[in-house]
Amino acid sequence: MESGARLTLLMTPAGQVLAQYGFTRAVDVMAAAALGAAIFSSTTEIAKMLKEREFAALNHEGLQHGIFLGSFDTRRGRLLALVVYGPDSSLGLVQLFFEDLVAKLIAASPEKVEQKPVLAADFERELTQSLASLFGR
Amino acid sequence: MSLVNFTTREITCKIVYYGPGRSGKTTNLQYVYGRVPEDRRGRMVSLATETERTLFFDFLPLELGSISGFTTRFHLYTVPGQVYYNSTRKLVLQGADGVVFVADSQARQLDQNIESMQNLQANLLELDEDARSMPLVFQYNKQDLPSDLILTPEELDQALNFWGVPSFPSDALRGEGVFETLRAVSELVLRRLSQEAPA
Repeated sequence: MESGARLTLLMTPAGQVLAQYGFTRAVDVMAAAALGAAIFSSTTEIAKMLKEREFAALNHEGLQHGIFLGSFDTRRGRLLALVVYGPDSSLGLVQLFFEDLVAKLIAASPEKVEQKPVLAADFERELTQSLASLFGR
Repeated sequence: MSLVNFTTREITCKIVYYGPGRSGKTTNLQYVYGRVPEDRRGRMVSLATETERTLFFDFLPLELGSISGFTTRFHLYTVPGQVYYNSTRKLVLQGADGVVFVADSQARQLDQNIESMQNLQANLLELDEDARSMPLVFQYNKQDLPSDLILTPEELDQALNFWGVPSFPSDALRGEGVFETLRAVSELVLRRLSQEAPA
């Protein structure tokens, strides 16, 4: 990635991962997304208390890594991006490519929800099998 | 709400363990984490205070397997039970597909259970969720305590379970009722998802 990002996660405000890019084996993706969404939700609530517009982006820099969290609205709802970057990148560079990513995602997001069948075929049998296999009873 | 990704054929559902402080929500997740095979679970994350009280949430991802060609995952969260953490409790509840209400069976905790249940309804309302249509399961924890200290599952059903949803007695420390509860809410969540879909 030209921004120098090590990892980029695209997720819902509830912390569910929609897409990921980069060295995902180095980070527990699902935990990182849950924590990222939590950070964002907390600061949004603090902004409300201050009667401030929400913080559109947050940045935390460490010695080796920095994390950037940004939110944006699409026609299908709000999304969050969590970007992990190293010393070979910078906040400015990440922000630049984040804006580009947001513009492309907004342009690409479909207007209407296309309805497709979910969990229809073999639902009952596979539900029972999966529950039995995970819970062992 | 459930995330259905048609490209990767994945479904992710969020289940929140709710209830008053010290009722055993974190204990439920710790038991599940300890018993589910490693390849079916991710890392458990706990944001707790120095005294091991939940500060923000516990998080445990589980993989159920494949249903109708979709890899199905559950993200289990707990909320902080203590009254003054309501703002964070509401954040964790956001986007929930199902709720497990973990009640403390001790008779002296009845008021706390009722208050927490009312708080759940108020928070769902603020999030524009209808509490009556949300998949909900009750777990009456600490049923292993001496019988003169606790209420029976029937008494707790009468006090808390207005809608007659599934309820389970439990001893979460030893695991009794833990998987039964999780299985029931998982089933409710997936059935709701299958009913919402066009045939």
